[in-house]
Amino acid sequence: MALDRIISEKRKRQCAKLIEISKDIVRQAFNKFKPEELGITWTGGKDSGLTLWIIRQVCQEKNIPLPKTMIIGEGDEFEEIEAFVERMKKEWNVPLEVCRNEDVLKAADYRLNALVRVKDLNERNREELIRIGFEGDEFPFEAESYVGNHLMKTVVFNQFLERNRIKGIFQGLRWDEHPARFDDPYFEFKEGGHLMPEHTRIRPILHFTEKDLWDTYAAFKIPYCPLYEQGYRSLGAKTTSLISVEGVPAWKQDLENTEERAGRRPDKEKAMERMRQLGYM
Amino acid sequence: MAEIISPGCQRGIPGNVEMPLSVERLPNGNTLIADGGDEAGFGSEIVEIDHLGNIVWNYNEGLRFAHSGRRLKNGNTLITDTTNNRLIEVTPDKKIVMNSDEWGSGTGKLSDGSHLHYPNEAFELEDGTFLVTDRNNDRCIQVDRNGKVIWAFERELKHPHNANALPNGNFLISDSDRNRILEINREKEIIWSYGDGSIETLWWPRSAIRLKNGNTMITDSRNHRIIEVSPEGKFIWMFQTEYVDKFYITHATKEGTFLIACSGYHQVVEVDLAGNIVWLFRNYRRPTPIYTRLTNGFFKEVGADRYPLHWVLARRLSEGGGKVIWDNENKPYPCPGLEFDRPGALFLQQDIAVKPGSTYRIGGDIKTIDVKGEACLMVDFFDSYGASLYRDISLMPSGEFFTGTNGWTHDIFDVRVPPRATYAELRLSINNSGKVFVRNIMMNPI
Repeated sequence: MALDRIISEKRKRQCAKLIEISKDIVRQAFNKFKPEELGITWTGGKDSGLTLWIIRQVCQEKNIPLPKTMIIGEGDEFEEIEAFVERMKKEWNVPLEVCRNEDVLKAADYRLNALVRVKDLNERNREELIRIGFEGDEFPFEAESYVGNHLMKTVVFNQFLERNRIKGIFQGLRWDEHPARFDDPYFEFKEGGHLMPEHTRIRPILHFTEKDLWDTYAAFKIPYCPLYEQGYRSLGAKTTSLISVEGVPAWKQDLENTEERAGRRPDKEKAMERMRQLGYM
Repeated sequence: MAEIISPGCQRGIPGNVEMPLSVERLPNGNTLIADGGDEAGFGSEIVEIDHLGNIVWNYNEGLRFAHSGRRLKNGNTLITDTTNNRLIEVTPDKKIVMNSDEWGSGTGKLSDGSHLHYPNEAFELEDGTFLVTDRNNDRCIQVDRNGKVIWAFERELKHPHNANALPNGNFLISDSDRNRILEINREKEIIWSYGDGSIETLWWPRSAIRLKNGNTMITDSRNHRIIEVSPEGKFIWMFQTEYVDKFYITHATKEGTFLIACSGYHQVVEVDLAGNIVWLFRNYRRPTPIYTRLTNGFFKEVGADRYPLHWVLARRLSEGGGKVIWDNENKPYPCPGLEFDRPGALFLQQDIAVKPGSTYRIGGDIKTIDVKGEACLMVDFFDSYGASLYRDISLMPSGEFFTGTNGWTHDIFDVRVPPRATYAELRLSINNSGKVFVRNIMMNPI
């Protein structure tokens, strides 16, 4: 079921206002950095998709090309996302770099859950494992695990920054997606360190709620990955992403009273309440 | 090689006041403090200090998380030895002259067949009997020195922490978990109350005293304030700290100032009615090291005490239960866990220096067996005074909650370091009974 809802003029104006706030952040970023010092993270999901669409608007306005865009290949991708990304890359002329940690993929023989032996990895990856305090000899290859996440995403992200001398990187994060994001700033400077290049993270769509986001997609006919029509609300790795409500498109679900990251700690509130009643601390 | 920012001092040093839980100004001008001790369960004692902060007397033999020390008319000191579930009276030369463990022919039972359970407060009444706040039995009782129950108020309370007698013969009770203060007469009728149950009005009030002007001064613990209300329930005055500091007990001095036991900031303050701090006692030294980063998260190193090296078993809140266990079957090497068997909470934890504003990713594998409450990884953040930034445990960031039996599960969560935080305390936590094991813990800025 395609996203062909009618959005009222009033709501459309509200969404336009939210976009304007985002565009202002993007413009500030272009004032602060040269276009070649900027980068974009894209996943093919709804948040980075909206971010990319907004940055593209500003670039068209300024008549400059889109900054270098990265997409991470975790080795566990949805075919639907790959197809969507391929399509948009052509339509929007996105200067896309597909970034993968080939060394880890090779050590895992490109198989999910295969055991990766630390001694089979290259020096950089071994050093990265020491950096995060991993002290094991092997780990299962899963993109969403602590180690997998670091090697397949963080390391690849840092290498993209290093390789392209990126100083400012756009991210499609939103305040309402996770409690740990509540205080995220629009611009966050990250100090450099061992294996970590200094950079600024730029988050233009922080203020969009999930509902704002889908209304904006509908109001401005922004393309999106068709998996959201099947009931996915949050897309990550293929084998760990869950459909929230089967057959109900993401935008038709109860966005305000249910968790966006489905399957995560559904009983947490109840447990919290029980702990509170214990009367400790 | 462990990198340590603060090494921490020896645990249980006599006179080192780690967690003031009750306080009173004695007729001679000295101040009597009940110190609950450190997070590992060491150092609980009763300390008497002079106005310069010199320690003139202390008692620390066998106390576990003692919540109150009260000087009696005969010069002895009455102590609620909370985790030991007992009430003792000690002489100035530290001899125990009364011990509730000896009641009921050595069973520790009272005349009604019950046993004190986590007593928090005890005062001497005019007739020489004691008014005891018996927290986990949800009651306040009057007992004599032989354990005979003379009077009891056992209805309607949920974890009361303090009850004291008023000149009119009534009792003022802090019904902490119900967020209210009650005045009860001897017929057990509620004569007066304050608190509508909402946490905005009172949040976990731990003590209340009636002032000479007829108003009531309430220690509103989780709202880090003391609040004066009139008999009509009208707000009159308050003293509140800018930041979270859980106040436990407030004592009114003859001079019209108030002494407050500040458990979070590890200090006792005396404030006047203008909110000035006119006296302060703090000699806290941290017993726990602070590491530059998570250390021994894979538990390869084991200490001489058979605890994982660099990790602390925090049993201050464990009500006397719980221990570290090992899963020796785990490959490639054994991993630790916690076993717990009662209400309360038990933690295996480590303190790590952090920078406000940064985001950390925390992850590890957890396995549980028959957990009746909850087990999880949790992070508490502390400020430069060593006080938790959170008013309540349920507000602390945590990973997934595990109940019942679960095989190894990988848990991963992100936390943003709040403003003013100087270090994080990463915990494996369990409450109620069961076993939880943990392995491969990592924590890094992202």
